[in-house]
Amino acid sequence: MHIAEGYLPPEQAAAWFVVSAPFVVHGSRALVRQVRADPESKLLLGAAGAFTFALSALKIPSVTGSSSHPTGTGLGAVLFRPPVMSVLGGIVLLFQALLLAHGGLSTLGANIFSMAIVGPWVAYGSYRMVRRAGGGLGPAVFAAAALGSLATYGVTVAQLALAFPDPMSGIVGALAKFGGIFAVTQIPLAISEGLLTVLVVRLLSRTSGDDLRRLGLLRPAAEVRA
Amino acid sequence: MFALDIAAHTGPWRNRHPAEKALLALGLLICAVALPAWPGALLSGGAAAVLLAAARVPLVVVLRAARVPLLFVVTSTVPLLVSMPAPARLAIDPASLPVAAQTAGRSVAALTCLLLFTATTPLSDVLPRLHRLGIPPAVTEVAALTYRMLFLLVESVRAVRQAQAARLGFRTWRITYRSLAGQAGAVFVRAMHRARRLEEGLAVRGYTGSLAVQVAAHRVSVPFVAATTTLLGAIVAFSAGLVSPW
Repeated sequence: MHIAEGYLPPEQAAAWFVVSAPFVVHGSRALVRQVRADPESKLLLGAAGAFTFALSALKIPSVTGSSSHPTGTGLGAVLFRPPVMSVLGGIVLLFQALLLAHGGLSTLGANIFSMAIVGPWVAYGSYRMVRRAGGGLGPAVFAAAALGSLATYGVTVAQLALAFPDPMSGIVGALAKFGGIFAVTQIPLAISEGLLTVLVVRLLSRTSGDDLRRLGLLRPAAEVRA
Repeated sequence: MFALDIAAHTGPWRNRHPAEKALLALGLLICAVALPAWPGALLSGGAAAVLLAAARVPLVVVLRAARVPLLFVVTSTVPLLVSMPAPARLAIDPASLPVAAQTAGRSVAALTCLLLFTATTPLSDVLPRLHRLGIPPAVTEVAALTYRMLFLLVESVRAVRQAQAARLGFRTWRITYRSLAGQAGAVFVRAMHRARRLEEGLAVRGYTGSLAVQVAAHRVSVPFVAATTTLLGAIVAFSAGLVSPW
């Protein structure tokens, strides 16, 4: 769920750039270090960015009868790790703004914070927690994708509520209003994205085991089934 | 390719320096967002709309690109029109109408300015120049690689979707999800394959870690910059109430 161009008041739009900047700078430094140590990883990162962008071309059927696209933050975070996703997600959001007019330049900081920072970290944290608790790859990937998508939705709603508090009930009322109107599409979408991501990882475990091992998702010569 | 990128590559402003177009479109965008919605956003959005026509961007491209962001603007403006005096109680609040109108107006104006930039400036002209803004070359090169690969991958998604549709791949929800997983899987495999092929191709050419590409040189037009500065100055001055139109 991208906040459209110009929707946030200027001071709030600027504040979200300031909040997102440390994460993106940290991710950029990690990316520069990785590329310096292994110049060929640049190509893999480029492919990862293009893959994340292409995920937004998938059309998930929605309960309202229309279709929606997955955020891709869960799968991206599990495959490529959250620090790299803060940069790749930022690049993808910039491309979505400049090629599709989804999101915007003034709202890029806010959208990066929800979709390239909080979403991936929640997704990766959920994935690690389920794995550490002894859960299989399937449940862990479902938790990552569904909770990552829900976190993105929650942060976007909070950003809108902070920008436009309700005149009577303040930020709490605004949270209920914005949360209620977007919940109709976003909660089913999060569940759909979780299920879809499990199917994708299950398929990739069978067809691209070597690539998943290279990315550290599968252990060497094990876990061929999600 | 995407309709906005095609318009940018084929339009009459194709050979203008990207910095000129950035100054104009992003200057208008800043005016639309930062100045009071009335008259700042109206003037900036109106100027951007006129310039879109001057740059001969097809109206259908603009309207198609604006559909999704406008849907967001409409949906998220509805909560601004109602207030919540008590939990689980909503009431239409006429006092909120100016805020809702200002927010929606500012967003539509800013979107028009964004479309002016995206429909006249190819991303391939912008990316190689981003390092001048202090962005590390490694990041801009990853962005450039992403840009080069994403068209192939999005095209793959479309081709796989078409093939699946021809085989009744979206008949039920269950089959639809299996088909969608197939699309994502195909794109992942193709992305990794493409990265490996590039890796091998660059290795045999003595790749040193730098992916320098030739950037077409464009001259900055002084009259264009002067006209842009005058336009932006006029919008700022008029919005600040420093000059009167009469």
